[in-house]
Amino acid sequence: MSTAWSFYLSTVMVYLGVNVMACLGLNLQYGFTGILNFSFIVYQAAGAYTAAVLTLGPHTAAMSFQRYIGGWSLPFPIPILAGGAVGGALAAAVGWIALRRLRGDYQAMVFLVVSLIATSVATNDVGLFNGSAGLSVIPKPLSGVVGMSLVGYQWFYVGITAIFCLLVYIVVRRITSSPLSRSLRAVRDHEQAAAALGKNVAALRMVSFVVGGVIAGISGAVLVGFISAWSPGAWLYPETFVFFTALIVGGTARNAGAALGALLVPVIFLESTRFLPQFGPPGLIDALQWVAIGLMALVFLWFWPRGVLPERRRIIALPTLRKESEREGAQA
Amino acid sequence: MMAGCQAAAHAINAAGGVLTDKIKCQGFDTRGDPADAVTAANQMVATTSNLLGVLGPSSDEANATAPLINAASIPMFADTGQASFDHTSLKYFWRLLPADDVKGYAMALYAISKHYLRAAAVFGNDLGSQSDLPTLLKAYRQLGGKMVVTQQIALGQPSYRTEVEQLLAAKPQVIFTEASPQADATYLSELNQLGHLVPIIGTDATIQPQWLSAVAGAVGKNTLAKYFVAEQPYAPATGPSWQVYQANLMKSGVSKPAQWSTDSYSMSDYDAVTIMALAAAMAKSTNPAAYNKLIPEVTNPSPGAVIVHSFAQGLAAIRAGHKISYVGAAGIIDFNQWHNSTGGFEIAAYLPNGNLKLVTGITAAQIAPLIK
Amino acid sequence: MFLQTVGFGIVTASILALAAVGFTVQFSVTNILNLAYGDVMTASAFVAYVSATAGLNPWIGMITGGIFGSLFSYLLNRFVYTPFIRRGSKLFVMIIVTISMSLILQNVMQIIWGPNFFTVPIPAGSSVRFLGMIFTTSQIVIIAVAVAAMLGLHSLLTFTKLGKAMRATATDPELARNCGIRTKRITDLAWLLSGLLCGLGGVALVIDLGSFQSTTGGEFLVPIIAAAILGGVGQPYGAMLGALVIGMATEMAALVINPEYKEVVAFGLLIVMLLIRPQGLLAEVASQKEVAA
Repeated sequence: MSTAWSFYLSTVMVYLGVNVMACLGLNLQYGFTGILNFSFIVYQAAGAYTAAVLTLGPHTAAMSFQRYIGGWSLPFPIPILAGGAVGGALAAAVGWIALRRLRGDYQAMVFLVVSLIATSVATNDVGLFNGSAGLSVIPKPLSGVVGMSLVGYQWFYVGITAIFCLLVYIVVRRITSSPLSRSLRAVRDHEQAAAALGKNVAALRMVSFVVGGVIAGISGAVLVGFISAWSPGAWLYPETFVFFTALIVGGTARNAGAALGALLVPVIFLESTRFLPQFGPPGLIDALQWVAIGLMALVFLWFWPRGVLPERRRIIALPTLRKESEREGAQA
Repeated sequence: MMAGCQAAAHAINAAGGVLTDKIKCQGFDTRGDPADAVTAANQMVATTSNLLGVLGPSSDEANATAPLINAASIPMFADTGQASFDHTSLKYFWRLLPADDVKGYAMALYAISKHYLRAAAVFGNDLGSQSDLPTLLKAYRQLGGKMVVTQQIALGQPSYRTEVEQLLAAKPQVIFTEASPQADATYLSELNQLGHLVPIIGTDATIQPQWLSAVAGAVGKNTLAKYFVAEQPYAPATGPSWQVYQANLMKSGVSKPAQWSTDSYSMSDYDAVTIMALAAAMAKSTNPAAYNKLIPEVTNPSPGAVIVHSFAQGLAAIRAGHKISYVGAAGIIDFNQWHNSTGGFEIAAYLPNGNLKLVTGITAAQIAPLIK
Repeated sequence: MFLQTVGFGIVTASILALAAVGFTVQFSVTNILNLAYGDVMTASAFVAYVSATAGLNPWIGMITGGIFGSLFSYLLNRFVYTPFIRRGSKLFVMIIVTISMSLILQNVMQIIWGPNFFTVPIPAGSSVRFLGMIFTTSQIVIIAVAVAAMLGLHSLLTFTKLGKAMRATATDPELARNCGIRTKRITDLAWLLSGLLCGLGGVALVIDLGSFQSTTGGEFLVPIIAAAILGGVGQPYGAMLGALVIGMATEMAALVINPEYKEVVAFGLLIVMLLIRPQGLLAEVASQKEVAA
């Protein structure tokens, strides 16, 4: 394998890891708890910016071309963990406003607005994270320490990503295989019933939302350490929709489904189109790609609404009950 | 970007190619987002063999991708004005265009030369605007002008009437602007409705076809032509090098070639390809590691160097064993130690027929004292 | 200066009212949160643009745009949303369906029209001064259209049987059906009506903006949602009030605080509202619909 291919493949592997983390986090919120978090990418961005300002170092003359708040050079893995903490804290703040008393579709609307406004604030308030130019020359974690060739470092970073991906998976797995996940699903499927059974619906939603936010933050921090630049262009709201499409394709409420979706949609589908010959005016392929993503979501929702790896059925319904539920479905 | 490349490829291939290799131009869409651009750049490097060099990256993703292209030892002629590259240490990075922050000086100089001493700055908060504004404020004050109102406007708003009223109340003689086409179209048409336009000096982002069509649509072509000028990198569209560019552009097979005739960006892309080809010819190798360091040798003026205006002339001079200095279609090229060659600027006016007209030039020498 | 700003606020509020009321009617009667709304606005604007450049009077363009918005919304519901609901798609799946449609519409327009800007060629006309406020002729027409639309909607909802049936369907579709209201027909009419407001709002928006592109309507969705939520989702009168508040607040913010923060001010209002009164300003019906669970 040539060096160039090694570079490219390692890049794709890092992205796969980051996307798997993000999809696991979003799946916890959407698949298991039924929260339509259209602002998911914002928590990833928060993690990325946090890790960036914690590694960029103080704002000295060498950094005069960009403005940012803070400015520390903390050692790995503190910036990544801090990215997760900030992602979680932001999720807690947004959740506190949106999740408490609002109906699901109402929440979705608020999350969408949060995403648009967050982009607007990060763009307008140049002093925060250098506005739309974004932050750049962010040091790569441990790059000075390990003393590897460039390509070696690429694969080293694949390893770092894999470790965080594994940690995230272990945490998510613990939640989804615990009794807590049954409560979360109850909140998702029958909110009133869950409340009637004494479940604290708001608190359960909040837990899932904040854990999802932490995971998003970590994924962003890992990503920014790799690409060493971050700007509002990287986290516009349709990016969240890519993750949703991944979950719909892969299968919601199942961790393997989220991971498969992350592989199929943001990695295989979006990467494979890079190998198509370029045609049309600039922006055409991009627009076609978004149309394809939208259609993919619709087609799956229509034909395979449960995705490639459907949620495992956990309750065996009594025959009479099933009939009743079918009749209900027909009426709606 | 393709137009300039195709024109250069036509010229080089007609002269026998680079060491018998023909040049081909291929586009890579990086989709303008840093995260996407990183894989796009890696994929480009991985899947393209015999890559002579890269035209780009462009502004939004340059900070993310330039280090990667550099690591792959591929020369790039960046299309970005980002100030982060003013003192870059990337070995394979080259820039023929002025940095964004220098543009503010050119705009201030022109305004003062027209005796506009009270000015308003109306800037959107997107990328380019952000880097141009600080130097504009500084230079304009230094030159004795007074910025009576500075507005950073939020993009994508349905109206800017309140901002316009504030601007009118401050009675500026001239408006400096760079905002998205949509925002400037709305702002200026509301200014036209609520009061009256005053002369407008835009950055080079405002002479892009999109901006011009949006704003001309909103305020009217004749009105825009009456008030509007903009700065852009100086590319006079005259002289022997430009004539070679023009001739090759017309024969290059690009669709509607005439629209690129006076476009300074296409000219610098043309120059970039020509420079790389000349450096490769001088190194007798298309391997970037061999020819990259010779790039200043084929451009920068030096005693005894033969001035050449095309690839064919340069090739002949190199074969004859001479030192050469290639003069680009966009003017003299002189790389500094940070691989930047900042030429001068020109002020261009908009004509009602949609074309641009050169008003005056502003040289690098005029700007130099302000930069300190 | 203050009065002028009020005047500007009225113009913005008029456009916003057209759009936000349509949005909220759609949501309340059909129970679908149509996130493709902004993109239908853009599509209507393109229709107005095409009809105006084809030589029709630009103001006729407003009517063709409105009719297009109406029909398109109806078809969107008929051939995309309703089939998904019939198939048993849940509430949150429907939102994903509408956001998919939003992306598809916006990018199809991008494919057709490219990243370019377009102008519906309406002369702004002479300025009119009134109580210290300044309006152009086209702005006065926009305000008049908005006021007429709001009065029309009010009469429809209050005085006609159809309007009452619509309100009944919005409040409790099952009860309405049991009372003999043909809710399917009412839903179709609601899409036609809200689509009309959507189309008119889209054309009014781009006339006021001066120029537009394929993303213009989508970007306008934030103030629309803010106005709708502020008024209490599903509340036409609330949306009118919300539109007025947002319109005034954003212009005042530009005057008093900083033009950069226009959007953020609208958002701040929204958050305060959600914290103290999540059911919205006018919330009688909303509470019955369990908007605030």
